[in-house]
Amino acid sequence: MELTPKIEAFGTKFDLTIIFGSVLTAIIVLILAIAATRRLQMRPGKLQAGIEMLLDLSRNLTRMGHDDKKAEKYLGFSFTLFLFLLVANQLGVILMVTSGADTNIPALGITPEIMHEQNAHGVAWLKSPTADMSVTFAMSIGVAVGAIIISMWINGVGGYIKGRYLVGPMALLHIFEGVINPITHGMRIWANIFAGEILIGIMLQAGWAASIPLAAWMGFSLFVGVMQAYVFTVLANVYMGEKINLAH
Amino acid sequence: MISINWGTMLIQIVVFLVLLLLVSKYAIRPLIATIKQRQDYIDNQINTAEKGRQEAEGLLEEQKSLLKQAQLEAKALIERAKIQKDKEAEKIIQEAKEQADRLIQEAKLEIEREREKAITALRDEVGTLTVQLASKLLEKELDAKGQAKLVDRYFEQVGRLQ
Repeated sequence: MELTPKIEAFGTKFDLTIIFGSVLTAIIVLILAIAATRRLQMRPGKLQAGIEMLLDLSRNLTRMGHDDKKAEKYLGFSFTLFLFLLVANQLGVILMVTSGADTNIPALGITPEIMHEQNAHGVAWLKSPTADMSVTFAMSIGVAVGAIIISMWINGVGGYIKGRYLVGPMALLHIFEGVINPITHGMRIWANIFAGEILIGIMLQAGWAASIPLAAWMGFSLFVGVMQAYVFTVLANVYMGEKINLAH
Repeated sequence: MISINWGTMLIQIVVFLVLLLLVSKYAIRPLIATIKQRQDYIDNQINTAEKGRQEAEGLLEEQKSLLKQAQLEAKALIERAKIQKDKEAEKIIQEAKEQADRLIQEAKLEIEREREKAITALRDEVGTLTVQLASKLLEKELDAKGQAKLVDRYFEQVGRLQ
């Protein structure tokens, strides 16, 4: 496992590799989305047809959590989330940048001593942001909190509490879900991507002998990355739908 | 890694929200607008095509009925013409027959008249001749001398007639 450069401030740590990865992902997504929607035409070109397919996919994803009419409002969210996770998951598979164990930058919390202490064998400068728990939990908890805020906005604070927690024995399940869902939601994608990167790291150290299994594993990781982006987006919509579209 | 940093989380949420805002505003909104525009265009085209088809069907129906009517009219016209022709032909034949009868009648009458005239003329001639002959005979009885003159005159008359 590699160390990552971190800055300590406000009593917490800012992981530079992850932040950089996340910003890079966001920039790639933004450029991709905007490049594909320039010069929009009634008769779409290949790029536009592709982005329209992606939009259709997002619409189908969104409709798993909301009814067809309301789904349109959350279309941008599903589209952005899916694309962001898709790019983020692949980033570490395609572009993993590391440096050796002798790197010494004390200002970023990187010294050979700390590395030895944490049993790390290098420094990661670029990897999948979704291979970091902070990112995935930020997303899953963000989805949960965001859903509650939107629900309170639409149903009113009382309406939300009444519709969600004053519904008899089902309320227990809802409370349980409220805690468990964001944890499993964030954990699932993190574990998949993290495991993928760990194994890639190990195979890279094994040298050229592992090149064939490495290629196979990288291919599988790409597939897993797409799968997990899809699953995370579906679950985000389902969880949001449960909180927002309360049964009256 | 296997640790959670609130700072990283906060920045991740901010990054995602900014991305969400930008993508929604600059990519999704124009894309949906374009799709909607296309949908409207297609709807419009389908409606126009449907209307055009109905119109064409209506016109076809109209043409068909007009054609049928024209056919019926033509048939009636021919029928009428046929009847008219038969009538006309009969009339012409009738007239011709009548005229022929009349001509025959007239010719017969003419012949009758001519015959009667001839008979009358002959009868008059015979009567005159008889009277003359009788008077000649009477003259001879009365006057022996004049008899020769009479015969001579007679022959003379015959010679003139011939």
